[in-house]
Amino acid sequence: MQKSSAPIKVLVTILGLDQHEVGAMAIAATLRDAGMEVVYGGRFNLPPAVVNSALQEDVDVIGISAHSWEYLHFLDEIIDGLKAAGMNVPVIIGGSVVTDTDKADILSKGVSAAFGPTDTPAEIVAEIQRVARDSRT
Amino acid sequence: MSDLNSSHSGLPLSPFYSAEGDDQNAPGVYPYTRGKRLPRPGQSWILRELSGEGTAARSNQQFKSLMAKGQQGLDIIGDTPTMHMLDPDHPHAVHAVGTQGVSLCCRADFEELYRDLPLDELSFSQSLPSVPGIAGLYLVAKERGVPSEILRGSAIQLALYEDDCSYSRHLPLKLRMRMATDSVEFAAKKMPKFHALLEDTYFFSETGLNSVEEMALGFVELRYYIRELLKRGVDIDAFAPRIGILLTCRMDLFEEIAKIRATRRIYARMMKEEFGAKDPRSMALTVTAHTSGLTMTAQQPVNNVARGGMQAVALAMAGVQAMEISTFDEAYRTPSEEAHMVGLRTQQIVQLETNVTKVSDPLGGSWYVEDLTDKMEQSIVAQLEEIEALGDIGELTEQGYFRQIFNNAMERLSRDLSDGTVQRVGVNSHQIPNAEDHMLKEASERKTQPFRDQIAHIKAFKQNRDFEKSKQALGALYDVVRDKNTNMMESYVAALAADATIGETAGVLRQAYGQKYDPLGNLPSPLDI
Repeated sequence: MQKSSAPIKVLVTILGLDQHEVGAMAIAATLRDAGMEVVYGGRFNLPPAVVNSALQEDVDVIGISAHSWEYLHFLDEIIDGLKAAGMNVPVIIGGSVVTDTDKADILSKGVSAAFGPTDTPAEIVAEIQRVARDSRT
Repeated sequence: MSDLNSSHSGLPLSPFYSAEGDDQNAPGVYPYTRGKRLPRPGQSWILRELSGEGTAARSNQQFKSLMAKGQQGLDIIGDTPTMHMLDPDHPHAVHAVGTQGVSLCCRADFEELYRDLPLDELSFSQSLPSVPGIAGLYLVAKERGVPSEILRGSAIQLALYEDDCSYSRHLPLKLRMRMATDSVEFAAKKMPKFHALLEDTYFFSETGLNSVEEMALGFVELRYYIRELLKRGVDIDAFAPRIGILLTCRMDLFEEIAKIRATRRIYARMMKEEFGAKDPRSMALTVTAHTSGLTMTAQQPVNNVARGGMQAVALAMAGVQAMEISTFDEAYRTPSEEAHMVGLRTQQIVQLETNVTKVSDPLGGSWYVEDLTDKMEQSIVAQLEEIEALGDIGELTEQGYFRQIFNNAMERLSRDLSDGTVQRVGVNSHQIPNAEDHMLKEASERKTQPFRDQIAHIKAFKQNRDFEKSKQALGALYDVVRDKNTNMMESYVAALAADATIGETAGVLRQAYGQKYDPLGNLPSPLDI
């Protein structure tokens, strides 16, 4: 199957010791309902493992679920790791702790989209579709 | 202000009300629906707020500042590595040290945490892993010559559901149960005033459970602990007087009040009729509460102050022994200094200005509340019986039965908010554009930076300690834990005293149960096994 017609494949992952899995599971279900293929990475991942999963699974998008501030500090390492691996996979971040100020900061670091607690599932799905489409073309 | 026994206009008030001649339907009388006891005049619940941030020394300052503002007890929460029983120098912990609670790793940390605090006066509630939490307090008291018999406070026990609800420590269920029951048994002997069996229904309700599910699952877990302790031959009246439930409070205020009243009644009957308690204190449940973080919104955070105020009034009317109020920044973080102030002042306003403390169980006798209490009781007991009829509770946990309940609850809440079944101001009604939503927003969004200096500090501590001594104590702990018939607590206290760390003890406990020392990476065990 041509990749452009295949379902969008998203890695949903949680970093460091961020314990809260509820949001990640909810978004994984939402994305599946929207017809996407989800590779669920679960909790307790460090940047090298995230880059490696993205590479192995050949995903279209890396989605980081964040319920602690740890993601802000892990982000550079993930983006550098992707570059070092020669991968051009868009990274998106969503979670209860992501504020509007954070969104501006992380978008400037090379993240493709960011979602906070006030964004709706429909907005998140539409944005991921856009990011994946842009990345495939 | 009016005196103790009158309304603001001077109308006389009784400490409680009941039908004429009915002395039995009173607070402090079995089955305790109307309250654990009739408060003494002027007595109220323990005012406290969830606290702990950064290093132990910084948290100690935070505690002192809260006490200066009128807080009467402490509720100490560990940072994520501490909750996980990992040391700050674990590779996974690097960006999480001290940001969402206090970093506790070794004896010196506990000494700093409790420095200058009156161990004989204050109540120390621990939202910490129970074994190191209880051992740490016990050890500091011993070092300071304070008899452990007078220590007060509580420790949450999360054994059954922790893996399903964001407190994963990578410990097998049998070991988690052992840690819970060992610590309760130890405290019953050495710290008889300390509530070592605090059933925490708050944390797992934050998945989105309703009030009936919250208490049904709470009783499932509590009964599981009680049966384990009885199986060991511990007398029910030796530990039951110090059982407590830490529950949540949502926004359906009458249902929450009915839940608390029904919970006291279910508990009293269960302890007397099923578990054969004789001591009335074993039947009168201690209830403490933390208002639901899930009811707090990221949108228009100032509205959360109103929510917390209403929940505090509901809890006061239900009659609780202690409370904590979530406030404006709850959707974003553990409470900031400003949020602590708001939470504490909210409680003080309810306590001192509203007169609700004058009359116990003021809603008792209301047709509505009594009927709702009866229905809550029936529904909770029905769900509890339904679950217990399914088979062994430990097996159900391991099969993911409870995880499914939590997941379903989470999906249900998300759906109910999307389709408007649950109304939430600022979220699905009366919204305002983000650009206009700035009241208290900045304070809510402020972040605590990781305390990475603590990583270097702990590395240096490990370098400079008498490692042979620590290793020996860890070896002894390993042996005791392998021997399933010995209580591990004395050996655990000895390991902390010998400067072994919480991360090391957890690793050794895992090894004693045939698991990997480091669940998340490849740190080597200090023991040659």
